[in-house]
Amino acid sequence: MIDLSSVPNIPPGFIFIFGAVLLPLLGKGKARTIYLIILAALGLISVAVMREPQTSWVFSDLIFLQVDRLSLLMGYIFTIAGGCAILYSLPSVKDNGHHMCALLYLGSALGAVFAGDFFSLYIFWEIMAFSSLGLIWYEGSQRARDAGMRYILFHLFGGCALLGGIVIHYMSTGSIAIGPVEYGIGYFLLLLGIGVNTAFILLHTWLPDSYPKATIAGTIFLSIFTTKTGVYVLARTFSGAELSIHGQEFLFVAYIGGAMCLYGVIFAILQNDVRKLLSYHIVSQLGYMVAGVGMGALGLGVIATEAQELAIDGAFAHLFNNLLFKTTLFMCMGAVIYRTGKNNLTDMGGLAKKMPITMITCVIAALSISGIVGFNGFISKGMVIHAAEMEELHLLVLVLTLGSVGTLISFIKLTYFAFFSKNKEIEAKEAPIFMLIPMCVTAFLCIAIGVHPQLLYNILPFVEATTHYHAFASGHTVGVVELVLMTVFLFFMIGFFAPHEKITYDVDYVYRKIGRGFIRACEGPLVNFASAVEKKVLKFVDFIVKFSENPRRETRLGIGTGVLLVILFFVLYLITMFMAGWLSP
Amino acid sequence: MDRKVWKSLLILVACIMLVISAVFAFVLHSEVFMGFLYGAGGVALFMILAKLLSLIQREGKEDD
Repeated sequence: MIDLSSVPNIPPGFIFIFGAVLLPLLGKGKARTIYLIILAALGLISVAVMREPQTSWVFSDLIFLQVDRLSLLMGYIFTIAGGCAILYSLPSVKDNGHHMCALLYLGSALGAVFAGDFFSLYIFWEIMAFSSLGLIWYEGSQRARDAGMRYILFHLFGGCALLGGIVIHYMSTGSIAIGPVEYGIGYFLLLLGIGVNTAFILLHTWLPDSYPKATIAGTIFLSIFTTKTGVYVLARTFSGAELSIHGQEFLFVAYIGGAMCLYGVIFAILQNDVRKLLSYHIVSQLGYMVAGVGMGALGLGVIATEAQELAIDGAFAHLFNNLLFKTTLFMCMGAVIYRTGKNNLTDMGGLAKKMPITMITCVIAALSISGIVGFNGFISKGMVIHAAEMEELHLLVLVLTLGSVGTLISFIKLTYFAFFSKNKEIEAKEAPIFMLIPMCVTAFLCIAIGVHPQLLYNILPFVEATTHYHAFASGHTVGVVELVLMTVFLFFMIGFFAPHEKITYDVDYVYRKIGRGFIRACEGPLVNFASAVEKKVLKFVDFIVKFSENPRRETRLGIGTGVLLVILFFVLYLITMFMAGWLSP
Repeated sequence: MDRKVWKSLLILVACIMLVISAVFAFVLHSEVFMGFLYGAGGVALFMILAKLLSLIQREGKEDD
């Protein structure tokens, strides 16, 4: 018998990265389809056979495989959601290049999650940025190219900040191990770099700008990896981070999460483009995760309270659940766009009978993200809010609860106006089988975890914290039922939230205005200055040439003046030599 | 059965559900009606915010 425990684990990221390199050899036929399915399965198996804790694939200070409960949880959800996205992309994606970008993106995200040091994390972080750019540019339109350019500029800025933070951290501590960082410039640079990927408010604009403009399958991949890797690294480095204001400690990361939750929701409610609505909901749902991370405590030697452990568990339970319902929602809306060619809610409606399986899976995912009892969102949102209650952060509890109301409003709007409102003109048929299978799998998991949360509890970082948490406690359950009943009743009573053909400006409008103004302001004076310098230089060169031919004719100087000039230059030469220290003994 | 009867039945079922949930809220939940309050407050808040943000909206189907 072979002792499997002695066989070293292969980093799952490498499977997808090398898989991407070999993909062009398989052409575009059935062989490619089978190869992609095998790759997805291999990735999941490579995570499932992993032992924790372990540290392997170490090269000098670089660690490519560090496995603990948290990275393993991320590995599971990335390979499950990534596998579903690969399956989903099969009918709609023809280019090998698109599949290669997707595999590289998946592989680098897994590489970042299992990285044990900041430098290897940074390498995978940058591969993620560039491979995901391909998924936007493959859409082919000018809008996608422009959005892709803005996307990569934002991520390069974030990457530079991250690298700066890592270098400063290394210079001050001599360590590149991933963990909490010292307070200082490096601290804020790291926070800025991670904040770009985690879509902190003001750093979030790349997300709703680029995700709706990517390819249909590309949006599914994009919605899975970048932001969730950001949350993971945030938890490793900034969990429970505090800022001192007037002598009072302030859990600022948790409150950033609360603000993201409300901000994302309100902008989502105003959207007409379904993928843009879902993109804003990524920001909002990230708010719950960031709030959980901000309240928690994680790291070597850190002794966490029960509330802090529950907060971290809640954050990662929500990350896991969010990937299930958000992927389902993006897949459902992608299927609708694929079949109808329409992106806006004002053009949809009447699809419930034409796309029944898509409708059912979409409703399940909408109920899950809204935190309805019996679905997975109810479990994880409850954990984060309960942790905030335990830490007596009343404002955060209020904000996160109101965020749930907003989420419910926008998903009643999405499902009602996409599937149930009247539209006799719309032409559509059910999505292809390769799209339906992953949608059904993720929707099933939403219900399975919602009904039997123990499935999720067992793989969370702090198992003991969840044993004291009762998801279906009567107070919580009844409160949610009341909230849902009131919101649904008011939504249909008032009829205020119907979609309109309107575009809502976000803060990137200001960025673009400032950017354009800066370029225009630079262009005028800079070009004038450059042409003035060019003229002067040409004049000077012309003078030198003529002077070398006949100095007397060009300068028209007397002999005395000439001698004076020579003496002056000689004195200047001596001063220069003296200042440079060349004349000193 | 015609449409009117169906509609009345639907309203009746909705009313019964509301009454049952209200009874549940009174019996099981110590902070009665807090969920209803959050729901109503939330909808009102988002209506106000949406109205305010409509100031920075423009007509159109696609952003660029």
